Amino acid sequence: MLLALVPALLLVGFGTAPTPSKAAAKGYPALTGRVVDAAHILGPAARNALEQELALAGAKTKHQMVVVTVASLHGRNIADYGVGLGRSWGIGRNGINDCVLLIVAPKEHKVRVEVGYGLEGVLRDEEAGHIIQNDILPPFRAGDLSAGIVAGTKAILHEIDVPGATP
Amino acid sequence: MKLRAALTLVSAVLLTACGVNSVPRSEENAKARWADVQAAYQRRADLIPNIVATVKGAAASEGKILTDVTNARASATRIQVTANDLSDENKVQQFQAAQQALSGSLGRLLATAEAYPDLKSQARFGDLVTELEGTENRINIAVRDYNTAVQAYNTTIRTFPDAIGAKVFYGAKPMVPFQAKAGADTAPTVNFGNTN
Repeated sequence: MLLALVPALLLVGFGTAPTPSKAAAKGYPALTGRVVDAAHILGPAARNALEQELALAGAKTKHQMVVVTVASLHGRNIADYGVGLGRSWGIGRNGINDCVLLIVAPKEHKVRVEVGYGLEGVLRDEEAGHIIQNDILPPFRAGDLSAGIVAGTKAILHEIDVPGATP
Repeated sequence: MKLRAALTLVSAVLLTACGVNSVPRSEENAKARWADVQAAYQRRADLIPNIVATVKGAAASEGKILTDVTNARASATRIQVTANDLSDENKVQQFQAAQQALSGSLGRLLATAEAYPDLKSQARFGDLVTELEGTENRINIAVRDYNTAVQAYNTTIRTFPDAIGAKVFYGAKPMVPFQAKAGADTAPTVNFGNTN
């Protein structure tokens, strides 16, 4: 199966965090952990691996990265959706905005890396672009979404493996 | 004594409700969002010389289009709108028109670049296009946040009771939002191997 995923790359900082009810109203999944597999595409092994990697990195750098798969973008472009989701979740530490979202929308064949202001210098657009092109899309094209997400997550964590500022 | 206490209380309530605090707060917020808009456009302006130089290397015969972009960039960066100009409809519109003209010529440049396989295969060029896409996204978000802030500010200064303070203390004037860009969704997007 040839999965055509269009990377829409862009990283924008998240600002204010509206209430959860507003999040639900806009069709955002609930923030239930570091892995939010709302599209149900991750195998148990991949999910475990992701949760471990993310928890380990989070404990070390304090940056907040969430991997999210969404069942539908509700007709919005993934860039808008990603910023809205990040803001509604309010992830990233206050005043630092050191968050990253890896968003996969299998239905729309889109993948995106959304980076908070606080990490833009560490994970720049072109670096995020390379990760999508080199780590995520090849397994996706081979039909293995889990592998692409795990590889992409590792590559992103590697990039942001720098200690964060203190809030 | 009782009366004075009551008066103090009443005036405290009145003053806090008349926009003494809320007007400058929402004004500062709108101005800060404007600074974000300017920063996002500046980021794009900073990228353009690199893009022009890279395209020139592989497609020097496209001199006219390259010159157009350089000129449009020069015009756009010449128009500066300070936070105090935000109530000036002309200035805001000029700024917007110049940036849109730049978007247009930049779009034509990238569309032209599609015809040069050498260029498309250059990693450096791909990176620049990725950065440009990122910058355009930042611009869109900054503009939207600015418009939201302007809307909040304009509502504040027109709505009772804040309107009293807005008029009496601040002489507040409504700020000018960015217009929804005609064809913003149809702006030429260029894919260099990102669509598979």
